[in-house]
Amino acid sequence: MSAATLTSPMPSTGRIPGNKAMWVGIFCEVTEFALMFAVYFIARAHHPEVFAAGPARLSLLAGTGYTLMLLTSGWCVAHAVHAMRASRQQACLRWLTGALLFGLGYPVIKLIEVRWNLAHGLDGSAGIFVVTYYYLTFNHLIHVFWGLLGLGWVMLRTGTGSYSADDHVGLEAFACYWHTTDIIWLMIFPLFYLLP
Amino acid sequence: MSETRKLDLTWLVLVLLSVVGAGLGGTADDRFGVSVLVALVMAVKLRLVCDNFLELRTATPRIRQLMYAFTHGMPLLVILSSAFGGTLARLTGALV
Repeated sequence: MSAATLTSPMPSTGRIPGNKAMWVGIFCEVTEFALMFAVYFIARAHHPEVFAAGPARLSLLAGTGYTLMLLTSGWCVAHAVHAMRASRQQACLRWLTGALLFGLGYPVIKLIEVRWNLAHGLDGSAGIFVVTYYYLTFNHLIHVFWGLLGLGWVMLRTGTGSYSADDHVGLEAFACYWHTTDIIWLMIFPLFYLLP
Repeated sequence: MSETRKLDLTWLVLVLLSVVGAGLGGTADDRFGVSVLVALVMAVKLRLVCDNFLELRTATPRIRQLMYAFTHGMPLLVILSSAFGGTLARLTGALV
């Protein structure tokens, strides 16, 4: 599947998934995180041994848990969009409910992980690796909260029949934001939890 | 293959890569080699999300190219920073 996906030709023209306003927001988010990643790489270059030892200080179980929650939530959202395109509003709402449940798994794991971190001495004074880790992951958490609020909104709109197969731009725009938030986590996760 | 089937397979591959990829953490005998592996797994996962969840393949070229630049650039930076970390530290010495 992935090989075929990667090799099939791309259209020279295309559509804007969601709407332009959401993409302005998404590129602001991407720019913000690109700057934070620059901070990460510079800090890592200056303290390679500290960053190499960093992943062993964090809970890999928590990091993997966030990843699985976000990926599964994103999968539910993608299904919800397809269900709406097929005029299956109730199925769409069910998929969105699944997306919300898995999405809520992220802050729940965060709460558990922060308690675990503090119990293991990983607070703001625990060195450059931990500070950079909190800097990026808490910023990402804020973006997840925005996404969960947006998810609640599109669930309300779907439940009240505001979207149809022909007009569900708001749902698509939310899906784009949620997948981008997922993409950013897929970058953060290996940087802090895996890279030696 | 139906679109929904493609979504399911994409999710399955992403979950498998995440679980297998998590096993790369803590294996630090060959730091550069592990960094390259981690970057490759990251690149595949990002591309799958971009193409099959975010539907960038049918998006307007500007959006597609900017997002690909971001998602392809990041794994590349992981490899480059692992290979040339000392150079980056010298170039940014004035910032720290």
